[in-house]
Amino acid sequence: MTTTERSAPTLACPKPVHDALVADARRGVPDEVCGVLGGTFDPQASRITSRYPTPNAADDPERRYRIDPEPLLETLETLESRGESIVGFYHSHPRGPPTPSRTDVDGAAWPDRSYLLVSLEDGRPAAGATVRSWRWRATPERETGGRFERERLVLE
Amino acid sequence: MRVTVDVTGEGVHEIDLERLESASPTYADLLARIELSPHEVSVLVDGRPVPEDAPVEVEQITVLRLIKGG
Repeated sequence: MTTTERSAPTLACPKPVHDALVADARRGVPDEVCGVLGGTFDPQASRITSRYPTPNAADDPERRYRIDPEPLLETLETLESRGESIVGFYHSHPRGPPTPSRTDVDGAAWPDRSYLLVSLEDGRPAAGATVRSWRWRATPERETGGRFERERLVLE
Repeated sequence: MRVTVDVTGEGVHEIDLERLESASPTYADLLARIELSPHEVSVLVDGRPVPEDAPVEVEQITVLRLIKGG
């Protein structure tokens, strides 16, 4: 099967988790919010069961996000103690479009995990939200680098 | 000394420090051995980050890929 024949990856997301992610993004305005997604991981078909909000430790949280290693490790241990796997991560674009930015590409480091993005477009808490997700496909022959592959978000 | 490197979410590596080229291996040397860059991960000892250029003095480390963007 060639890449073009392969169907797009999927990310199943319960509607309550989807709505909670949007609510988190709205509450966080003007800053970006971020966190970890737990559930069942597969490189082509993952399913979210929980979201784990984490502090945004970036120096410029209105334009960047970063999860510090210590809270991240604690979150991942909690997630795994509940029998979940690391499905991926989420963050918001309070004003940006619902697509990964150049900074998102430069910062991506978890191969095949989902990077879910909540965009509020115009930065108003009451604005309409767009939720999309991508898989990070690392380039094998390079230490770093790769590309985001759009995946189908399936609300259930 | 044999070091256990747990790459969170991926797997565990056992690395024999005597088999690394450096006489005083650093955490960056360990990362290089498993083809990871300090630009994409943090190294933690007992749950706390350590500098990648510090010499390896423990038998158990955790490696976490970074989560950041904009």
